[in-house]
Amino acid sequence: MNTKEFGDYIIRVDNIGKTFDNGVVALKDFSTNIRRSEVVVLIGPSGSGKSTFLRCLNGLEEIDSGSITVDGIPLDDNKKNRLEIRKEVGMVFQHFNLFPHLTVLKNISLAQMLVRKKSRVEAEDETMQLLKKVNIAEKANVFPSQLSGGQQQRVAIARALAMKPKVMMFDEATSALDPEMIGEVLEVMKDLAVEGMTMVVVTHEMGFAREVSDWVIFMEDGMKVEEGTAEHFFSDPKMDRTKLFLSQIL
Amino acid sequence: MGSSILQFCKRHHLLDFSAYLVLMVGGIILLLKGAEDQGYYWQWFRIPKFLYQFEDGRFIAGPILNGLKITLNITWISLILTYIIGLVTALMRLSNSLMARGIARAYLELTRNTPLLVQIFFMYFVVAPILDIDRFTAGVLALSLFEGSYASEIYRAGIVAVNKGQWEASYTLGLSSYQNYRYIILPQAIRRILPPLTSQAISLIKDSSLVSVIAIYEMTMNANEIASETFLVFEIFFTIAAIYLALALTLSRVVAYFEKRYRVVT
Repeated sequence: MNTKEFGDYIIRVDNIGKTFDNGVVALKDFSTNIRRSEVVVLIGPSGSGKSTFLRCLNGLEEIDSGSITVDGIPLDDNKKNRLEIRKEVGMVFQHFNLFPHLTVLKNISLAQMLVRKKSRVEAEDETMQLLKKVNIAEKANVFPSQLSGGQQQRVAIARALAMKPKVMMFDEATSALDPEMIGEVLEVMKDLAVEGMTMVVVTHEMGFAREVSDWVIFMEDGMKVEEGTAEHFFSDPKMDRTKLFLSQIL
Repeated sequence: MGSSILQFCKRHHLLDFSAYLVLMVGGIILLLKGAEDQGYYWQWFRIPKFLYQFEDGRFIAGPILNGLKITLNITWISLILTYIIGLVTALMRLSNSLMARGIARAYLELTRNTPLLVQIFFMYFVVAPILDIDRFTAGVLALSLFEGSYASEIYRAGIVAVNKGQWEASYTLGLSSYQNYRYIILPQAIRRILPPLTSQAISLIKDSSLVSVIAIYEMTMNANEIASETFLVFEIFFTIAAIYLALALTLSRVVAYFEKRYRVVT
């Protein structure tokens, strides 16, 4: 049984809608609330709106309707609010998006210095600690291109963590990795969950979802089809669509 | 036996190289023959004194070298301005502001669709009296504005080519637009656009000869004067062509070195 303690709602999403310029409807009246320390996993077929939902949460995509609040700050047109939310919500991408012209050390310390206004020494100290945490301290002075996919993704996680975010989002963080490297990245993600990080995760790793998540949301066509605790969701899905999806993927 | 010779030639690109050599030598022979048939009396020996002289063991630069000094001055100042104007225009074109985009667009259309010669005249006869600037400044400004419009398109292409993921990563880390451009986008874009920016610099060196039309005594202007006084038309113009060539080649070598040194693997 899950005995994890959750805090108040840190993310509130109320009836958001999003239609792309080409007419594709990505999200329809989507609502959900996420508590502190909760690990929410979004699953569903491709094109179901999972990634778009994540990208709306930190303002990478604009919503057309509804509202999003992160830690009490509304995500609106106010630039200050937006910046505040960007600082509090870390994001890990499918393709890592490390800065190729900077070493691992600089990739992680740059934003700490520019945005969190830390000194170089402070930022680099923090960076080295994070690199130890993701088991890659010996690669501090190499460039991203000299790392394997799994190593690059761990650096990307460390880079996001360096900003001390209150929420971490993972957008198919293991989808671009070779099978033997998926494990090392999932390990780091599991550790984060155990430490009580609030996480919103889009993934196709059902093992991870089952083991680590507190809440699972199954989406299709921009809408919630079914949601529930991992235990209920995987062992006793209610909707036929969910059953079909799970039977195809498991 | 025959096939092994052929293989040896192939491996060492011998056939290719021989063809190149035959063409080049043939070209030179044709050129010399043409000159001879014209009955032109070559007087190369008269050229050095227009480059430099020694008086009492002291080196004195001749009119061509003096002109070269002005050409170099025009070039380096214009080059810096070109790169600044190009970058600012590119950023304006990519900005969200309708006004900035409009101004950039109008400037680009005007400068890229009219002859440089006309722009130099316009700058000297219309703008210079209003702003009260001398002919050198007018020439430099006209050149910089003209080359800047081409540079801006190079910058723009380089910036747009940076992977979208880089913008998103920097956005999610909370970097401001300025910080994003300064630390993430431009360092990557510049490395990619170094070769076309160098071509632009070489165009600038060559185009600088056009400011002679507003009586700036740079290398081409001086060469023109010497040619009309001495009738050493071919010798003088070949000489300054060789100097322009040397300048351009040196520049591209230097840039190639930096390009290799700061290459980014993506």
